[in-house]
Amino acid sequence: MVRFKSRYLLCEVCFSERSSLPLLEDKAIYNTVRAAVNRAHGDYGSAHFNIGVMVKYLNAHTGVVLIRCRKGHYQLIWSALTFITCLENRGQRVPCFFNCLHVGGTIRTCQKFLVKYNRQQLDRMLLDCKTDAEKQEVRRSILSCSLSAVREEEAYEDWSDDNEEI
Amino acid sequence: MSVFMDLNIISSNDKNRLQSIIETAAHLGYSTVAINYVIEPQQKKPEIPKPQSVSDIFDKFPIVQGKSSPIKVLNRLTIVASDASHFRPTNEYKNFDLVAVYPKTEKLFHCLYVFPHLSQAACMTFDVDIICIAVTEKQPFHFKRAPVNGAIDRGVFFEICYAAAIRDNIMRRYTISNAFVLMELCKGKNIIVSSGAERPLELRGPYDIANLGLVFSLSDGDAKAAVSTNCRSVLLHGETRATAFGVVHTMKKPQTPEKQEEETPAPKKAKIELV
Repeated sequence: MVRFKSRYLLCEVCFSERSSLPLLEDKAIYNTVRAAVNRAHGDYGSAHFNIGVMVKYLNAHTGVVLIRCRKGHYQLIWSALTFITCLENRGQRVPCFFNCLHVGGTIRTCQKFLVKYNRQQLDRMLLDCKTDAEKQEVRRSILSCSLSAVREEEAYEDWSDDNEEI
Repeated sequence: MSVFMDLNIISSNDKNRLQSIIETAAHLGYSTVAINYVIEPQQKKPEIPKPQSVSDIFDKFPIVQGKSSPIKVLNRLTIVASDASHFRPTNEYKNFDLVAVYPKTEKLFHCLYVFPHLSQAACMTFDVDIICIAVTEKQPFHFKRAPVNGAIDRGVFFEICYAAAIRDNIMRRYTISNAFVLMELCKGKNIIVSSGAERPLELRGPYDIANLGLVFSLSDGDAKAAVSTNCRSVLLHGETRATAFGVVHTMKKPQTPEKQEEETPAPKKAKIELV
């Protein structure tokens, strides 16, 4: 069965100031990555970027981005991500860097990893909490993470992803 | 899950900046970082700064992402040497956990490795752990295979810093071309990649650096080793500098008050650790 295989790069955009987070937009990320691939790998890199690279998911609150690339040359795109120093968004330049958390073959595996990672982040936030009220909030969010809601979402994503492949 | 280390964070007097760099490193997943004090000795007698005590920076070290232990911070000394007399291992070197050298001339590079046991005036035992490769300029001299192989046999590692590549386009070219030259000679053995970061935005995650190793024409396994197992080897090499041939480690046992009442002083016991 002929199927186009892809690699999904799950990245976190880290800023020096937390206030820049809500400005994330998928077009801005797409343009920044395209410019970085052009600068790092020239015309060859841009050609590989044009086929099959898409920003699939973006979470402006945590700064998590899911980028899809073709399996053959995902390392090329990944190496260009390391050289990104700032995001250009509507004329504003925000200094940041991309930290790749996970490389998966399907959206489902990346989502499973993201759920585990977010739980770890909540645990780390619990250590940093200063007031009791904050601690209660964080504990409540940890307890409310349930896998049944996630499984329904996964089934939907997988179905829509399979439809695209054909 | 291997242990990732970043052995080059440029030290600065600004405590807040150091704190934010170390916090970012812990967030990215590095278990150990080393604060680098760079000296460029101009006169005959170089002044070696005393490293800031690690507990001054943080009361409570940040926990490493993905593990439950706090991040470990070490001190490292880098000597930018253009003359053999600049490098003189004195007692002050013992304050640092790691010692590195950045050779500027071919003669220095050569005598760093080919004559490790000669005690002549010119070629002393250059007891270093790391040799830094130039990343901000074209390599001023060509590497030769003999000294490089000598260094690999002795257990000395070559270091490539990537912060310059992130800052500037032209530096990127120098970094990659110098790295290529090194890879051709040493076949990817004994290489570590570290950041050389001055600000927290110049750090990158360990898997990203392993991917950068592919750009430097390292193989997959070598690239990952460059951030994990090779760094650990460097640390162990640094520890053996304080021991006799890496086998015997001596510690002063504190004298208990009762023994001090005796006329003859109690003998200092040597603790023998089997490595």
